[in-house]
Amino acid sequence: MATASVYSSPGFDFSNQIRNNFLAEKGLPLPKATSTGTTIVGCLFEGGIILGADTRATEGPIVADKNCEKIHYITESIRCCGAGTAADTEFVTNLISSNMEMHALTHGRKPRVVTAMTMLKQYLFRYQGHVGAALVLGGVDSTGPNLFTIHPHGSTDKLPYVTMGSGSLAAMAVFESGWKTKMSREDALQLVKDAIAAGIFNDLGSGSNIDACIITPNHTEMLRNVEMPNERETKEKSYKFRRGTTEWKSESIRKLIVSEEITPIGGDAMDTS
Amino acid sequence: MFLTRSEYDRGVNTFSPEGRLFQVEYAIEAIKLGSTTLGIRTDQGVVLAVEKRVQSPLIESSSIEKIMEIDRHLGCAMSGLTADARTMIDHARVTAQNHSFTYDEKIKVESVTQAVCDLALRFGESVHDEDAMMSRPFGVALLIAGIDEVGPQLYHTDPSGTFVRYQAKAIGSGSEAAQAELQEKWYSQMTLQEANILAMRVLKQVMEEKLDQHNVQLAQVTPQKGFEILDETSLKAVIDQM
Amino acid sequence: MPDMVSIGQPQQRQFNPYSENGGTILAIAGANFSVIAGDTRQSEGYNIQTRYAPKVFRLTDKAVLAVNGFAADGSMFVKKVKQRLEWYRHAHAKDMPLRAIARLIQTMLYSRRFFPYYVYNILGGIEEDGSGAVYSFDPVGSYERESCRAAGAAQSLVQPFLDNQIYFKNQRPPPGTSNPTHLPLHEVLSLVIDSFTSATERHIEVGDGLEIFVVLAKGSTTQGLENFANVQEMTQTREGERMFNIRRNLKRD
Repeated sequence: MATASVYSSPGFDFSNQIRNNFLAEKGLPLPKATSTGTTIVGCLFEGGIILGADTRATEGPIVADKNCEKIHYITESIRCCGAGTAADTEFVTNLISSNMEMHALTHGRKPRVVTAMTMLKQYLFRYQGHVGAALVLGGVDSTGPNLFTIHPHGSTDKLPYVTMGSGSLAAMAVFESGWKTKMSREDALQLVKDAIAAGIFNDLGSGSNIDACIITPNHTEMLRNVEMPNERETKEKSYKFRRGTTEWKSESIRKLIVSEEITPIGGDAMDTS
Repeated sequence: MFLTRSEYDRGVNTFSPEGRLFQVEYAIEAIKLGSTTLGIRTDQGVVLAVEKRVQSPLIESSSIEKIMEIDRHLGCAMSGLTADARTMIDHARVTAQNHSFTYDEKIKVESVTQAVCDLALRFGESVHDEDAMMSRPFGVALLIAGIDEVGPQLYHTDPSGTFVRYQAKAIGSGSEAAQAELQEKWYSQMTLQEANILAMRVLKQVMEEKLDQHNVQLAQVTPQKGFEILDETSLKAVIDQM
Repeated sequence: MPDMVSIGQPQQRQFNPYSENGGTILAIAGANFSVIAGDTRQSEGYNIQTRYAPKVFRLTDKAVLAVNGFAADGSMFVKKVKQRLEWYRHAHAKDMPLRAIARLIQTMLYSRRFFPYYVYNILGGIEEDGSGAVYSFDPVGSYERESCRAAGAAQSLVQPFLDNQIYFKNQRPPPGTSNPTHLPLHEVLSLVIDSFTSATERHIEVGDGLEIFVVLAKGSTTQGLENFANVQEMTQTREGERMFNIRRNLKRD
C-alpha cells in the first residue's frame, strides 16, 4: 500500500462534522448547549446608545437561569448583547474584550466600536457559523455613537435601531412604531424597555427582567434589572421537611476536628527571628 | 277479524286504507299458536316459565330451548316461531356485550329491550348495498327479564316492535287464561319462591298434558346469581311444593 | 436538468398533521372530592397562540375531562366525547357514570390506534360509590385509575413533586404515625396552585392562567373551599354532586 497522504488542505478542518452527524444518527447526539433564546436590542439616541436585554436563559423548554446577564463588557464605552449559544456569546465577547484591551495598550488610545465589530465578525466567519453567537454591539468612540448587529456567520449591519434573538420580531415591532431620530435619553430608555418587554411577554424564549445599558461619550451606565415585571408570588404552602424525614441505612459519625501532638526530636529550632 | 282481507295483506310495507299493516298483525297472531310462556316480577328477582310441547315420546325434551340467556343479568323466554327468536336474541346478546365492552357496565333491561324492538321493525325490501334483511316481521314474542340499577324488571315485546313493562305477563296459546290467573294471584309483596310456585300453577292450569319437570322450563334472574335456568332437581322441588 | 432526477424515481412527500401546543394538566382525587386543573396558555414553538384556551372541560355533573397535547385533536376529542355522552343520555335515560366514561374514552382512543388523537387525557370526578377518582390515559387508550396524575409539557417537573407530596414518596412518617392516604381539600388546592406557579417559573410553555375544577361528592361540605379567591359554583342540578371553578392568573412571560 502506498504511504498515507500527509497532505491536509489549508484552512479549518471540519471532518469531525461527518463523525458527529454519524453519531447523532446512531442515537448519540451532541450535548445540548444552554441557549439564550433571547430578546436583545440596541438603539441610537441624541446623546449616545442604549442597549437592552431580557434575563432568561433556556435549555430547550426549561428555564435554566431566571436572571442571567446578557449585556457583556467589551470596553468601558463599548458593550455587547449576546443571543444564541450561551457559552459562545460569553466566550467570544470575553475574548474580544481582552483583545480590545491589548489593542488599546498597543496603540495607546481608545479603540473604536468598528474595531470590535471587525474582530468579532472575522472570528465568527472563521468558524463558519459553528460558533453560535448573534450579537448586538454598541458603544461610543472618537467617531461618535456606533451600533451594529453581528450574525453567527459573520455578516454585520449598521443601523440606528436593531433587535436580535427569538424575540427580535416582537421587539422590532415596538421600535418600528416608536423610534424617532434624536430621541431624548428618557424616551429612548422607555422605548428600549418597551421593546424588551414585548419580547419578554410575547416570546417564550425570553422572560424575567429587563437589563439596559446607556452609553454616552463620557459615561456608561449599566442598569441591571431596571424593571422586574415577573417576580414570583409567595407559595401557598411551606415545604419545610421535618428533621428525620429522609430514611438512612447506616449511621457513622466522625469527628472533623483532628488534634495533633508534635514532639520535637533534637536539632536546632527553626530560626524565626 | 280477517273478513276485511284484501290486497293489502301482501306487502309487508303497505298500509291498508284503514291504516293497518296486516303482515304485522298476522305475525302477532302467530304467537297465539305458540306454547304458553310467562314471567313474574318480584322484589327479589324475576321468574320466567315456559311450557315445552313434547309432541312425541321420541323427542329429547331437554333439547327444546325456550328460555335463553342474553347476559349474566338478563334472560329471555319466547313464544311463537322460536326460530325467529334466535336472530333477535343474537342481536340482544351482541348489544349487551357491546355495551359492557364500551362502557364497562351492565346494560339496562330497558335498553336491551329497546335494541330488540329496533330489530323487530327492520323488515321489508333491502336497499342495494345493504346486508340481507329480514323479509317479513318476526313471528315471535319475547319476555325479557333482568336486573339493573333500577331493580328487577320484566318486559314484553311483540312483532310490532312495541314493548311494555309488566309485573306479570303470559304469552302464547294459553295466555288469555294464564294472564287472567296471574292478575288474580299476583301481589306486590310476592317472594321469588312464591312466584316460582305461581308460575307452575298457572302453567299447569293451561297445559293439556300433565305438568312435570320434563315438559316445563323455569328460570330466574336474581341479584345474587344473575340468570339461571333451574335444573330438573330444583324444578321438581318447585313442582312438588305446588 | 431537474427532470433527470425525477424520471422513474419514486418520490416521497410528507405532511405532518400533528403539532404540540404546550401547557400542563393535573388532577388529584381526595376521599370525597376530585380536583382537575390546567393552565390556559396555548403555544406553538416560541409563539403564544392564545393566553386563554381552556384545557379542562365539564362533561357531566360529576365528571371533568382535562386534555393536553395537540390542541386541535384535543378540542375535537372533547366534542366527540360530549356527543357520545348526549347519545348515551338519550338511549339510557341517565348520565354516564364516571367509570363508564373512562371506558368509553379508551374505546374512542383505541379506535384510532393507527392515526391517534395526539392527546393525553386526565378524567376526574366522583365515582358511583361517592369516592373521588382520577383516570389517566395515554394517546391510544391505555388507562388506569389513580389518585393523582400530571401530564403535558411540565409533567416531568410536576409529577415528582406530587409523588412526594401526595404519595409521600421518600418521606418517612414521624415515629409512631403513618402517612395519610387522602389529603383534605384545602391542602390539595394549595398543592395544585404551587405546582402551577412553580411549573410557570421553570417551563416556558406554562403560564398565563390557571383553571381549577373541584367536584364534591353528594352531601359533602365545602371543606374550606370558600377561603380561596375567585371560586364560582357551576353546579347544574341541585341534588347530588357540586362543582366549582377557580380561576387564577399565572405569570405571562
